[in-house]
Amino acid sequence: MAVAAMLKDKGQLMFEDKWPSMRPIILKLLQQEPVTQNEWQDLFYSVHLVCLWDEKGPPKVKEALKDDIMDFIKQAQQRVLSHQEDQALLKAYIAEWRKFFTQCNYLPTPFRQLETSLAGKTSSSVQKKAQNDESIVRKLMLDSWNQSIFCDIKQRLQDSAMKLVHAERNGEAFDSLLVIGVRESYVNLCSNPEDKLQIYRENFEKAYIEATEAFYKMKAPQYLQANGVQNYMKYADSKLREEEQRAHKYLESCSGSVQVLTDCCVNVLVSTFKSTILAECAGMIKANETERLQLMFKLMDRVPDGIQPMLHDLEEHIMSAGLADMVAAADVITQDSEKYVERLLELFKQFSVLVSKAFNDDPRFLTARDKAYRHVVNDTQVFRLELPAKQTGGLKAQPESKCPELLANYCDMLLRKTPLSKKLTSDEIESKLKDVLLVLKYVQNKDVFMRYHKAHLTRRLILDTSADSEKEENMVEWLREVGMPADYVNKLARMFQDIKVSEDLNQQFKETYRSSRGSIADSINIKILNAGAWARGSERVTVSLPLELEDYIPEVEDFYKKKHSGRKLQWYHHMSNGTITFSNAVGRFDVDVTTFQMAVLFAWNQRPLERIPYENLRLATELPDPELRRTLWSLVAFPKLKRQVLQYSPEVQSPKDFEENTMFWVNQEFALVKNGKLQRRGKINLVGRLQLSTERSKEEDNESIVQLRILRVQEAIIKILKMRKHISNAQLQSELVDILKNMFLPSKKMIKEQVEWLIEHKYMRRDEDDINTFIYMA
Amino acid sequence: MADDSDVNDRGDGEAQKPEKMFTLKKWNAVAMWSWDVECDTCAICRVQVMDACLRCQAESKQDARYGRQDCVVVWGECNHSFHYCCMSLWVKQNNRCPLCQQEWSIQRMGK
Repeated sequence: MAVAAMLKDKGQLMFEDKWPSMRPIILKLLQQEPVTQNEWQDLFYSVHLVCLWDEKGPPKVKEALKDDIMDFIKQAQQRVLSHQEDQALLKAYIAEWRKFFTQCNYLPTPFRQLETSLAGKTSSSVQKKAQNDESIVRKLMLDSWNQSIFCDIKQRLQDSAMKLVHAERNGEAFDSLLVIGVRESYVNLCSNPEDKLQIYRENFEKAYIEATEAFYKMKAPQYLQANGVQNYMKYADSKLREEEQRAHKYLESCSGSVQVLTDCCVNVLVSTFKSTILAECAGMIKANETERLQLMFKLMDRVPDGIQPMLHDLEEHIMSAGLADMVAAADVITQDSEKYVERLLELFKQFSVLVSKAFNDDPRFLTARDKAYRHVVNDTQVFRLELPAKQTGGLKAQPESKCPELLANYCDMLLRKTPLSKKLTSDEIESKLKDVLLVLKYVQNKDVFMRYHKAHLTRRLILDTSADSEKEENMVEWLREVGMPADYVNKLARMFQDIKVSEDLNQQFKETYRSSRGSIADSINIKILNAGAWARGSERVTVSLPLELEDYIPEVEDFYKKKHSGRKLQWYHHMSNGTITFSNAVGRFDVDVTTFQMAVLFAWNQRPLERIPYENLRLATELPDPELRRTLWSLVAFPKLKRQVLQYSPEVQSPKDFEENTMFWVNQEFALVKNGKLQRRGKINLVGRLQLSTERSKEEDNESIVQLRILRVQEAIIKILKMRKHISNAQLQSELVDILKNMFLPSKKMIKEQVEWLIEHKYMRRDEDDINTFIYMA
Repeated sequence: MADDSDVNDRGDGEAQKPEKMFTLKKWNAVAMWSWDVECDTCAICRVQVMDACLRCQAESKQDARYGRQDCVVVWGECNHSFHYCCMSLWVKQNNRCPLCQQEWSIQRMGK
């Protein structure tokens, strides 16, 4: 600028002198006529000189330039408007626009100097860099185009373009470049630096979307009416895809237009008919039409609240189909836990396949499946486990699903040496056990399962009937993995450990006594177990052992006392068992029996042929009445035997009908019958399922489940309150359910009763201002 | 009781008359052991003495899993019993029985 001031008086470089030589070059450029290298460089030079030496030069250049540009545009406009037909008009416009737009990139270049000067006047030069892109000349050119030609014919342009798109929708082919060209002119025309897409959005996009909406508003209902819902869904789906593709072609890609258009299409094509489409859902689920459901899912997933009704339909279906299936098969599955569990699993697989095929395992549908399946599993319609309602005497028992008990039974069949476990391969058993765990996940009252599972495990370990001890221990770890309470799982693990310890002990016992009293060591096995892990409740039953057995007791106790100190032993004869040899007129038989059965049978050793009344047997064995009845029944009416070990008179229907003077005697004709032939030798197991569960403990079992639940609820309430100090009733309930979910689902009633109990015993109180809030009392 | 003496007679005569109607071949006897204590809960950690003490349960989950039975019981001269782990921590602070306040000295240990 300093130099400019110094050389100011050099007057020959004024605008007026230079412009005449510049103008022809500018006009050539506008018209895209060839310009020589010299002319092009001259233009640079002239602009430079004018800007440098003529103080008023730059604005003048700008004005003059503008006039020429306007002139050029007017001519172009005339050329365009000379076409009447839409396609021709578009073609002409696009051609003119392309030409002009190309020049928009060239023409500004020589005027860089002008821009610097103009900008230098208004703002500091620092900003130049940032505005580099938006040259003043370019803006001038685009604005001029916008104000003149574009404003005049944009409506016509748009309408023509939309007509073409409409024609395409109706299946007519045309040069899609025409529409694209129009769009480009809308996009490139904008010189607003804040929102480059303003013109495009306000005009082209808007028109495009309105046209689309209008098109389908008319078409969609027609199609639906003519072709029905099923076909309509296909139509809607294909149209959505088609429109999306078309939008990618005709709409500006990074403007978000495609999304806007898609939303609009979804609205017109799907939302409008939401309820009509959804009405089909339940029927399709029922008919397992996975492909159509998938289509529906795809459509509805795009609509707000579209999925909700489908989830509901799915839940309804699983519940009603699942329960109907169970009820239909009730006769079989209530008798047979294998069939029951397999039926349940089959249902689960069936529903899972549906969810996966129709809904791509969408998490929302999986949740719905889980919810409904849980309902099926815990339903009490087919069978129920009656748990006594404790304490509050008058209240009715609350029925629960028998599912956990049956699951545990099924597990037992897989883990024990049974026909089922023998016929399956190891992998099959493993996968079936995993299936059990899968169903177990849905069982509300896992504590019932735990109890039965432990009882079965106890029986397997004591009777040594596990099919595969490795699998047994795996199962324990799997139970841990699925979240069974640690103290429970630890106890199971400890039982295995105990059995191993016991085996060592047994070995030592035998070695110690083998030398001194040969026979005693060989005919006795001892299992001395940890009462904390194995025993439950007051299930011990006393029995007066036959002398043959009684003799061993002090030997074992002495041996044990030498090994350990501070321990006391209690004999669990209802768990113990053995083998006896039964010799009669027919032959000799090895019979596996419980200790109770042994005690009864040995009563005849002194008087083999006598008839002994019930009363005397009770005196001899000292067994409690119910146990003696059960034991006798197993000897007079063992299901598998054609000839029973004991006979009795008079005949009765069930063990509880034995009278004081019912007479029992040993069947001297006893023999095993195989294929209709008498066997003189043989082995028979009379232990059956009798072991371990005494009559009393069976009743106690259910009672103690309830008792334990009460304690767990109290414990959990206190745990929560200790942490929260005060808590609302609703929150307490939900936290309780969460804490206890791996054991059982506490009923509202039980929670309420325990809250009352805890309040009464001053562990907590209600807030005086809000009776629904509880406060912890330390 | 007349029955019992009867059985005895028979038992003695076994050698001469091996063909008794029922003879024992094998007996699998089951017994449960528990610590011979008056109170089955440890007053220090409030866990049953038959189970591992609270500390052992929490610290060595891995061991508890496989049923290690190192957490034994200890009896004081006062005949009160606790987990050995619990008591050995207790005496560091207070050398008295938590139940009766008598000076603590070990009478015997469980094994």
